Amino acid sequence: MNEHSLAAWSLELLATAKVRLEALGLDLANAPEEARKAFEATHTALMSGVGVRGATYLVILLFIGIAVEWLYWTYAYSPLRALQATPAHSPLEALRLGLRHLVLRASGLLLFTAAAIGASAAFNWPPRVHGLVISATLFLLVLRLSWVAVSIVLSPRRPRLRLVPVASAKARWLAAALMAAMVLLAIGRFVPPIVEDGAVQARHFASALRLAAYSAAALLLFVACFAFFGKPSRRAGAASARAPLFPRSFPLALLVVAVYAVWLLHAAVAAAAATAAVTVALLLCLRDVVYFYWRSEADPEGERGALPAIVLSLARFVTVLTGLGAAAVALDTPLDALIESGHPLTRIGLRLLGVAVLALLAHGVWIAVRSLVDERMAQIAPAEPNEPPGAKSRLLTLLPLLRVTTAVALLVLLVLSSLWALGIEITPLLAGAGVVGLAIGFGAQTLIKDIVSGVFYLIDDAFRIGEYIQSGSFKGQVESFSLRSVKLRHHRGPLFTVPFGSLGAIQNMSRDWVIDKLTVGITYDSDIEKVRKIVKRIGQTLADDPEFGRHILEPLKMQGVEEFGDFAIQIRMKLKTRPGEQFVIRRKAYAMLKKAFEENGVKFAFPTVQLAGGTEPGAAAAAAARQVLARDPPPAA
Amino acid sequence: MHGEALVRNVRLVSGLVLLTFVTCHLANLAIGLHSLAAMEAWRATLTSPWTRGAGLWLLASAGTVHLALGLYAVAARRSLVLSATDVAQLSLGLAIPPMLIAHVIALATANAVSPGFASNYGQIQAVYWSFAPVYAFLQLFVVVVVWMHGAIGLYSWLVLKPVWRRIGGLVLPVLFAVPILALLGFAQSGQEVLDKLANDPAWKAMILENVGKIAKVTRELAEFQSRAIWGYAATVLAAFAILAVRILRHRAKPLSVAYDGGARAGGRYGLSILEFSLLNDVPHAHVCSGRGRCGTCRVRVDAGADQLSAPAELERDTLARVDAGPGERLACQALVRGDGLQVTRLLPAFADASAARAPQDWVAEQAAPAAESRT
Repeated sequence: MNEHSLAAWSLELLATAKVRLEALGLDLANAPEEARKAFEATHTALMSGVGVRGATYLVILLFIGIAVEWLYWTYAYSPLRALQATPAHSPLEALRLGLRHLVLRASGLLLFTAAAIGASAAFNWPPRVHGLVISATLFLLVLRLSWVAVSIVLSPRRPRLRLVPVASAKARWLAAALMAAMVLLAIGRFVPPIVEDGAVQARHFASALRLAAYSAAALLLFVACFAFFGKPSRRAGAASARAPLFPRSFPLALLVVAVYAVWLLHAAVAAAAATAAVTVALLLCLRDVVYFYWRSEADPEGERGALPAIVLSLARFVTVLTGLGAAAVALDTPLDALIESGHPLTRIGLRLLGVAVLALLAHGVWIAVRSLVDERMAQIAPAEPNEPPGAKSRLLTLLPLLRVTTAVALLVLLVLSSLWALGIEITPLLAGAGVVGLAIGFGAQTLIKDIVSGVFYLIDDAFRIGEYIQSGSFKGQVESFSLRSVKLRHHRGPLFTVPFGSLGAIQNMSRDWVIDKLTVGITYDSDIEKVRKIVKRIGQTLADDPEFGRHILEPLKMQGVEEFGDFAIQIRMKLKTRPGEQFVIRRKAYAMLKKAFEENGVKFAFPTVQLAGGTEPGAAAAAAARQVLARDPPPAA
Repeated sequence: MHGEALVRNVRLVSGLVLLTFVTCHLANLAIGLHSLAAMEAWRATLTSPWTRGAGLWLLASAGTVHLALGLYAVAARRSLVLSATDVAQLSLGLAIPPMLIAHVIALATANAVSPGFASNYGQIQAVYWSFAPVYAFLQLFVVVVVWMHGAIGLYSWLVLKPVWRRIGGLVLPVLFAVPILALLGFAQSGQEVLDKLANDPAWKAMILENVGKIAKVTRELAEFQSRAIWGYAATVLAAFAILAVRILRHRAKPLSVAYDGGARAGGRYGLSILEFSLLNDVPHAHVCSGRGRCGTCRVRVDAGADQLSAPAELERDTLARVDAGPGERLACQALVRGDGLQVTRLLPAFADASAARAPQDWVAEQAAPAAESRT
């Protein structure tokens, strides 16, 4: 559409509006005269035998309707009382109870209507009265049905059964305002046709009546928007993550004004505009309403999980779809003919609808996966920096991977199936993708190898973030993963980046436990049994130590004599600790051993030379030194 | 029998008398389905006895007493807490006298002011269907109002009786068949009268003469009627004024009642425990809407029994009928006069009329499903 046709269209629109406004002015000017005539005609028609007959039949219908509904309530009243007395512990339960309420009460209404309309067929009505009676019954049905809906949704007297987040003080007035608006709208909808079809055919009066009723309703709703949605909803404290954007009253009031303006200017599309407005208003409030049902009593702002998010997106979709359908009905669009005609626009519309369904599905799956992953991550994330890596740290590496993979896979699937839904042939695309994939696969063999073996390392649980591993000549603490490689921090600082493909066999030094062996040489005159007791005591002291004790799995104990050496009895001790803690404990144990041996007269052995014979002390010492040197030559030589 | 119990029973009996009369009257109309002549023939049996001698005396006194006691019930109320049925019953009841007054005055005085006036069905139907249809509309409206008032009253009295189980299935259809048949008869005979007016000039002349006689006194009748309506309005206003004064007088004396399950209700001095519950939306069974008939609102008083009004005869009778234990009261009859009251509701809030019909069995019925599930 170029700017030329746009201008023409605007002009046409303005012209229509002008005609319509002029017609409305004319209607208003002629309405009083016509109303007087219509009233006189009605009065004359009523004040006759025919009028009395019609009224009598009407009263009979009323009795029949009341009788049927009364009979229904003699059975249905007890369940209704039970429902009303049931305390709903959560909004979700209230929703279930509300649905039952609706069924119970709406059944009564429908019975009344069916009985009245059905019985009306049996009477010999004066001309034109039968249609009027059916209109009146429907009018009554619409009003009572709206009251049932409003009273169930807002539940003014029972806050626990309320289905929307509205304060008790407001609920009563909101219900009253909505009902008043409904009465006005119903009057605007049902009364003017009767006036138009009457004996006088008072078109101007009907139009003025419609104008008055709809204007009053619009004014009422406009005021109600500001009265009930004026202040942004107060959340608990400042904990709210989202700052309130702006009060909802403005968009809602704007919608009311817009619909009213559309009706004023162009009555034919007013119903569609009203549908659109209701849809938008619902979309505006949907988030609060849906989360209202999954709000736990204890923690109103707490975790909500995946379900409400999915329900919300589903509810939005259904709302939009229902809105579209209702708008189509309101515009009297012949849907079936449109579909059969195969008009390109229709086809595109239907296909877009299909794409929307696919998008909704993908969105649902994505939200489910994302919130599950986020939930798990949040559960395992708060680990202390120095804490030994728990069994869940593997998830910490796998989960983001899963998230990204799901996102990519979903996106690809969505794009492909959307193209398919739009009628674009995707087989060549898939085949092309296959060929390209093959080529890339050959080219990126190593890369694929890295990625795949990485996934298998993670599945095997070979290492987790924070563990100290060794693989070939690389060793260090696992700092992070990527899709392709692992980063190892050597204990002296250097950072290795090792592709998974070349990681090979892995030695993991941070799993479960380590055993440390200590060897000490003591002199041959030592009492082994005494040494055992000393070692045992030290082991006990260490195990009781508040600092080391919690890392010791099995206390230090002497295993026994390892070897009778040249100058010492080699005794061997064993200690089982948590991984990484053995070094500190070993140092402490050595220190304690030395101190305890000295106190108890156990001497550490070291090589000594015994000299015998000769008179020259120096000569003997020199000979011994030579002997030693001959046996252990100094490294420098 | 005295006090509240007497008032209640007199109101009930007078209401039943009025309902019997209306039923006879409507049945007579229903005969119009056969013919105007049959209608007129049955008038001697069905309607005329009520218009003279003992019948008239009974009808007039029943009407006066029922109206007076209805207004007394309004004036004796302690609050505006009303069930939907009560609202319907009260507003329908209050609407009857002004609407009926024209009908009653016209027929009661017609003979006196205009000698020789033949108040037969043909005459009256001719007025309704041809000469003054506005009265027909009024009468149609009155039928709806009177009959609904009577039906609600009869139903809410009978449904609490054990006998309802046997006759309930019969009473309800009859309750609605009567007005429907009567209105059909009204329409049928009206058509007959219209035909007769068109085809029988002699009869039409007679009717016209009679209508002319009535027309002469119309103004006097209207004056009398408007005076009566104003008097009635003043009486109704006085009854409501007494109620308003009572509410305002006790407004400054707030009290509260504690329930089982931790619920609390606030109210003012002199309200019944049931009114405390209903004012605060505390779930509380009350099948007869606080008339002291059904016993479903009964509570066990756990603390503060001395803050309640003493049980009257009405309450003692009902409590005895439902085999109430010691320390139990009817929440609708026990008036709260002080703080510190703690009560336990003995029946679940969803108790229905069956609980009033057979209080002993009802508890067993409730326990029955549990017993079945155990076996």
